[in-house]
Amino acid sequence: MPPEQQKERENMANPIVTCRGVGKKFGTGELAVHALRDIDLDILPGDFATLAGPSGSGKTTLLNMIGALDHPTSGVVTIEGQELNGLDKNELSDLRLNKVGFVFQAYNLIPVLSALENVAFVLELQGRDKAERYARAMEVLAEVGLEGMEHRRPSALSGGQQQRVAVARALVSKPSIVLADEPTANLDSATTSELVDLMHQLNRESSVTFVIGTHDPRVISRSKRHIEMIDGRISSDTRD
Amino acid sequence: MISFLKTFAPLAWRNLWRNARRTVITLIVVSVGFWSVLIFNAFLNAWSESGKQTTLSVLIGEAQIHAPGYMDDPNIELLMPPPDPALRAALDDPAISHWASRLIVPGVVQSEYKTLPVSILGVDPKDEMIVSSLPAQVVEGRYLASQTDAGVVLGESLAERLETGLGRRVILMSQNTSGALSEQSFDVVGIFDSDKGTEDFYAFTGRKAAQDFLGLKDEIAEIVLRIPDEKLLDQTVATVQKAAPDLEVKSWHSLSLMLAASDTFMKSFVFVWLGVVFSIMAIGIVNTQLMAVFERTHEIGLLRALGMKPRQVLWMITLESAFMVGLGVLLGLALGALSIFATYDGIDLSAFSEGMEMIQAADILYPDYDLKGFAIFSGIIWILGILVAIWPARRAARLSPVEAMRYAS
Repeated sequence: MPPEQQKERENMANPIVTCRGVGKKFGTGELAVHALRDIDLDILPGDFATLAGPSGSGKTTLLNMIGALDHPTSGVVTIEGQELNGLDKNELSDLRLNKVGFVFQAYNLIPVLSALENVAFVLELQGRDKAERYARAMEVLAEVGLEGMEHRRPSALSGGQQQRVAVARALVSKPSIVLADEPTANLDSATTSELVDLMHQLNRESSVTFVIGTHDPRVISRSKRHIEMIDGRISSDTRD
Repeated sequence: MISFLKTFAPLAWRNLWRNARRTVITLIVVSVGFWSVLIFNAFLNAWSESGKQTTLSVLIGEAQIHAPGYMDDPNIELLMPPPDPALRAALDDPAISHWASRLIVPGVVQSEYKTLPVSILGVDPKDEMIVSSLPAQVVEGRYLASQTDAGVVLGESLAERLETGLGRRVILMSQNTSGALSEQSFDVVGIFDSDKGTEDFYAFTGRKAAQDFLGLKDEIAEIVLRIPDEKLLDQTVATVQKAAPDLEVKSWHSLSLMLAASDTFMKSFVFVWLGVVFSIMAIGIVNTQLMAVFERTHEIGLLRALGMKPRQVLWMITLESAFMVGLGVLLGLALGALSIFATYDGIDLSAFSEGMEMIQAADILYPDYDLKGFAIFSGIIWILGILVAIWPARRAARLSPVEAMRYAS
């Protein structure tokens, strides 16, 4: 068996995230809204997946479930084999801190911290010592092309640069998976292209697993796996 | 804890200055409020202490010794002998700066025009000049020269009511040891100025002269003690009581219930003021922190999404309050220090001397800047400030990351 095929089989046997029969309902009775219905999904190591669909299709809700930010009302989500149902707030916090990286829409940096401090903050929460966290943060900032801008506050960075800091922050703790929710929503074409290039490069060279919620065709066109959602269900899941 | 502070203290400090104007306004409220507590406490203590000292130095002293029952019915049959050697040894206690023995009997004073009830006080002027402020308050004539001086010193108000004056004669009358009425005329040698109660109810003469007039040998009615250090009062009273088990030794707390109540009230009132000021401060602190939490709801959601635990959010917000209130307390202390410097020589209230006399306080008040009080009030305000901020901090800690991040930043 060729090595690529063997690796793919191994990956399929050890998914990072599994969703089985996941549903999410907001409200009760006649006013209940089913944001997710019976989702079955495996995210495999090395995936560069886009989660697309119209507004209200359930992209963000599914990302919240995968990222341990929210509990499903039915079904089971596991991250690296650990079932999320039954974990308390502190255990979920620990899980997010150690296994999940997040990139949100713009304006999601802590404004009173510099780029370096924003990135190092996650390591600080993990209890790493100062020298280690700053060395690692510098390394990741260089990786995302922000050398020389480490001490700037978010207000002194452009939108694209802020998103690069957010990507660096998501990567700094070497999480199992990076979830990005509309990361290019507030960026122009050139900056979007640069950011997608960066994520692609990190996926290719460092095997970082990305799941990107988006309806931006410029992002979707670069994905290796495309999951389409409609009305809270996965309507298609295709790989290149 | 140290690791927590290292992580969150810099963040909390910077968060504090995100809305500098609001923080400064809260700091002003906390520091001025705290300063007012310090000043109010110092001023009240000074007023209370001055009033107490003024009252005690007139006649009461810090403690007195009497024969049993005399305080309930101060008559000539309930006198006591002069101090025996054991009592004299106890009165040599270093805590007692001075003492004086007095003869006090109820009587009447009669002028050509009026007869009024008084307490006839036979004193030894040499001792009295040390234990009492009254000898120095003679405004006309002179004070008594010796214990055999058969002159009488009256208060201004009493002299006025009797329509008598310096150089005139009055008759003192009282029951003597045989139960009969003794009367003797005395020259008015001095007029003193004091509070109206003292002026109206006392007529002073030499102790020996009074004893002779009443047919007594060396019996006395009371020994008054001056004990400058209030902290040693109870212990000293107990020591003296032990040396004179057949007599009653009482501190001013029992001798003047009104003064004791007023002293307690003054000391308690500062806590009422502390409560009022703190309520205002608490509104400011809670408002500031609620606004800070509300404005940063989205960011708190982000921090929770990144892996911050609810209790870390709670401590971060609480730490911000600890910094803010702590800084306010430090500023209040600095203002307090400036006030100490400004009033080091006392606050001259002689322009209101009539009012001060009415409240039995001295014309110059020396604010009591007790460092222990500064430390206690600082601690109280700081801890209460942190406690009230736990409410907004708990609100922040309970936010769900998903819900919080829906808020626009």
